[in-house]
Amino acid sequence: MEQPHDLTVEAPRAWDRPAVSVPVLICLSLVGGRFASFSTEANLYTLGTGGVLIWLGLSNRVPRRPAPARLGAGAAWWALPVVVFGVFEGATFVLSVGDEFPTFSRLADPLLEDQLVRSAAWFAWLSAFWGLVRR
Amino acid sequence: MMRALAIGGFLSALALFAAVEWLARREGSRIPTLGEVCAYVMRYEVGSVPVGRIGLFGFWWWLGWHFLAR
Repeated sequence: MEQPHDLTVEAPRAWDRPAVSVPVLICLSLVGGRFASFSTEANLYTLGTGGVLIWLGLSNRVPRRPAPARLGAGAAWWALPVVVFGVFEGATFVLSVGDEFPTFSRLADPLLEDQLVRSAAWFAWLSAFWGLVRR
Repeated sequence: MMRALAIGGFLSALALFAAVEWLARREGSRIPTLGEVCAYVMRYEVGSVPVGRIGLFGFWWWLGWHFLAR
């Protein structure tokens, strides 16, 4: 007997499970961490991985979690970290006095020169991107 | 002195992001998680064009390129 559509649950695809997606993201991150800033490889790799994720996110190939119909007043709390970050980024960018009062990017660059830290940053970026695709 | 101020400011902002996310994940919290805020933004469409989705994907892609490739 055919089930009503509302009562059926689509079985998760194999590649959609954390046991598959997390190791894939780790492998991609380890590869990305090997490419130095300003290299052609790094640019192409960022374009490629980001492009595939954007394509997946804009097509209907990946099941998405239901989005909230509206946000409550509590969402205003998110303005606090955004404003604090924006004030410091804006001030350091406008004054542009280099290492005396550095922007977030200028502070992050020396840390990202380390291959392990760079791979961790790749993992954070790709994981969050994958999370957005599934939203 | 100014450098310490910048580092302190950015660390404070990151700590606030973590704190608000932690508050949002508590049982019965009225604060939505960052993922829920993003999902709500991504619902925004103009006609049939998913403007919110395209905008957020574009921003996140640019962020990765800015830190990891340029």
